[in-house]
Amino acid sequence: MAETLLNIEGLKTHFFTEAGIVKAVDGISFNLKKGESLGLVGESGSGKTVTALSVLRIVPKPGKITDGKIEFNDENLLKKTEKEMQKIRGSKIAIIFQDPSSSLNPVYTVGTQLRDVIMAHQTVSKTEARKKTIEILEVVGLPDAETRMREYPHQFSGGMKQRVAIARALACEPTLLFADEPTTNLDVTIQAQVLNLLNDLKKKLGMSLVMITHDMGIIAEMTTRIVVLYAGRVCEIAETHDLFERPRHPYTEALLAAVPRLDMRKTLRVIPGNIPNLIEPPSGCRFHPRCNYAKQTCKEDIPVLEEIESGHFVACHEWQNITLKGERSH
Amino acid sequence: MASNKTGQKKKEKSKRRGASQWAVAWRRFKRNKAGIFGLIIVMAVFFVGIFGSFFAPYPARPDPHAYDPFYDIDPITGIGDVRKPPSWMDPEEPNSWKYLFGTTPIGTDVFSDIIHGTKYTVYVGVLVTVITMALSIAVGAIAGFYGRWVDNILMRISEVFLVFPSLLLILVFVRIFTVSVGEPFLNIPIINIQIPTGLTIVIVILGLFNWASNARMIRGEFLRVRELEFIEAERALGAGNIRIIFRHILPNLMSSIIVVSSLTIAYAILLEAAVSFLGFGDANTITWGQILQENFSEMRIVWWAEVFPGIAILLTVFGFNLLGDGLSDAMNPRLRD
Repeated sequence: MAETLLNIEGLKTHFFTEAGIVKAVDGISFNLKKGESLGLVGESGSGKTVTALSVLRIVPKPGKITDGKIEFNDENLLKKTEKEMQKIRGSKIAIIFQDPSSSLNPVYTVGTQLRDVIMAHQTVSKTEARKKTIEILEVVGLPDAETRMREYPHQFSGGMKQRVAIARALACEPTLLFADEPTTNLDVTIQAQVLNLLNDLKKKLGMSLVMITHDMGIIAEMTTRIVVLYAGRVCEIAETHDLFERPRHPYTEALLAAVPRLDMRKTLRVIPGNIPNLIEPPSGCRFHPRCNYAKQTCKEDIPVLEEIESGHFVACHEWQNITLKGERSH
Repeated sequence: MASNKTGQKKKEKSKRRGASQWAVAWRRFKRNKAGIFGLIIVMAVFFVGIFGSFFAPYPARPDPHAYDPFYDIDPITGIGDVRKPPSWMDPEEPNSWKYLFGTTPIGTDVFSDIIHGTKYTVYVGVLVTVITMALSIAVGAIAGFYGRWVDNILMRISEVFLVFPSLLLILVFVRIFTVSVGEPFLNIPIINIQIPTGLTIVIVILGLFNWASNARMIRGEFLRVRELEFIEAERALGAGNIRIIFRHILPNLMSSIIVVSSLTIAYAILLEAAVSFLGFGDANTITWGQILQENFSEMRIVWWAEVFPGIAILLTVFGFNLLGDGLSDAMNPRLRD
């Protein structure tokens, strides 16, 4: 078994708004091994992005990490000072954001922005940094890198901008990369290119990848293990094929059933209701108001994450008593 | 084949050169006739301000030769050339350009006075704006970036400055603090520039009272840019607050800062003229406002000593305003083609 790179235990990130405390992440635990691709899945507002931002410790105000442990290479990131975190961000842990068009500073050339990142984290001369910039731009498949690095972000297409954003995240060869819906704003052919690029780079650089998305197709393609989040808590953790074949949590089942498929004749199934208000989340299991299998205990007790098979964790009171439709026999 | 390739490269190069926000803004600005007109006026004012003393017909006061028209006694009447109308409209001086804008009751040449006053105008405009912008960028950046209670306190202070009738306050402070000492604050003999102490005090007071509205504008811009996604991306790449403020937010505001600066210069010139005209300025420094003040009592007869300095102020303020508007149009990203 590979070494553990990232270990999150009981992470709680709350937003102290005027309306009340939004418990965006409320006790999430999972781990990530070196070189692994992990998927973080859930509806909007389930805490995927906030989890990533918490690891980097860049949760925007009024958010605050209130509890838990984030161990990266056996060091607790929550105990680090802001200065120490600045050194880690971008050099050891990096993140790619959803919108490539706005993740670059419009007033600097692409080359300058890359060089800035390299020079912030490594002691290299300007010429060396420039050389590295060209190198990394070539790695992410930017044609004619030497010329194009002198151009401004507005001269790039969306897909090219995302390549630059990826180049910037990878410039210092991080060991852990979060990709926060990196392809949502790109059209389909570019999506495939960017995903292939991420896969290639991951192999080449031997880094671990956390893929954050609600697109089950991308998750199936890109990851080996999946963590399903719902309303700031973990529902299920399993190997990717295992989760797709035999989901054990009613929410995972519903999520998979809501994926549109070409061979499907019936209307698309949707999960009834909305993600709950995170200021006053439902008691017990947070999914119970929308769950078809909910019993009285679900309203009262918080289910704990238990290992039902090796590597397959579920947080559900009823998992033994229910047979899910998603458990297809192939 | 090869030449074709180099030709293509050249074309690419020229395209690339023009892509920075400044190049784009300049291209847009060039098309704006009013803006160019403003720029020409502004450049002329700066030119006269810097080199004026070399071509003014009479030297600047307190040099006694500044009063030469006074001593130019008419043999018949026995009166010097005081209160002379502009020579080109004076029936007694056919085809003469002796006193282009006439002379004052104390016997100075209005044209020379205006030229010597130009450097003070430039000095007032630039220094008041530097002080104002430094203050408003500092306040706006801190309030906009750190937000919450810091923002609250700074914005309440700025409101205090905004609600008081600032001209009245400025007059009070100028009266208290301004000393009309003849000793220049700084003397640079090579280019014949002396920075007067009294005027400098007026400038500092003007600067201290003008930051509030600009600070609010910059705060607003900070709030806007702070929330843009690339700031989060920079943070995720390891940038700290100081780096984000100076390297990432401020450069994005440069266009707004330049536009506002240009309008602030115009306002500062106007304000200093008003303060001087009301008799609160530095009496030893002949700014345009000071000329207006000196000749005010005889305005009905010696109108040229009021009208021409007035036109100078008007034209300068107009030029800076045109320039500011032109820059604002050129640099507004929402209008960018």
